Amino acid sequence: MDLERVVIGIVVNGGEGKSKAMEAIAAAREGRIEEAEALLEQSDECIKKAHNVHGDYLTLESKGRESLLTIMMVHAQDHMMSAITVRDLAEEFVLMYKERRN
Amino acid sequence: MITIYLICANGASTSMLAEKMKAAAAEQGIDAAIAAYPDSSLPSLIDQADVILLGPQIGFKKKKLQDKFSDKKAVIESVNSVDYGMMDGARVLKYSLELVNTTIKRRM
Repeated sequence: MDLERVVIGIVVNGGEGKSKAMEAIAAAREGRIEEAEALLEQSDECIKKAHNVHGDYLTLESKGRESLLTIMMVHAQDHMMSAITVRDLAEEFVLMYKERRN
Repeated sequence: MITIYLICANGASTSMLAEKMKAAAAEQGIDAAIAAYPDSSLPSLIDQADVILLGPQIGFKKKKLQDKFSDKKAVIESVNSVDYGMMDGARVLKYSLELVNTTIKRRM
């Protein structure tokens, strides 16, 4: 498992997950609640993929493979944390817009 | 010459793709200036650019950026996340060239 693949796997999937979550908020703001909920699900799928790459790498490390701590790895982790945070908050935003409309 | 800027949250992972695209351009003899930047640099870059490609992590800003820079010649689009994930420089380069061609046709 090469480092570039790990970094890209986390950045792209995590990043897309965050993007979908932001789109969900925008959709909810415009009253498209069903679309917002679908976007949240898509966001979950993306973040799950990022998680899998991340998890595979963690498993290798816990089995004793030495990891290189590079700024690229830190960057990938940064993307993933931000994606998860935004995803969690987006759900609350969507709910808030939904309740406000009812 | 065609100028392509890859934009993401801080220009780190897009710089990997930019390198692959440069290699693909050199291989195919295409005269292209390709570089990666964070999205905060966009206002100072937009005038020189033919194509602005957004990384999947800031895809949600596409509409806002397209509206903000609608008077500029640059086409703003997001990179297909599969091509991005595979770091397929040649495909993203091809996509950029297609974007330029279709925009020119649209304006004629």
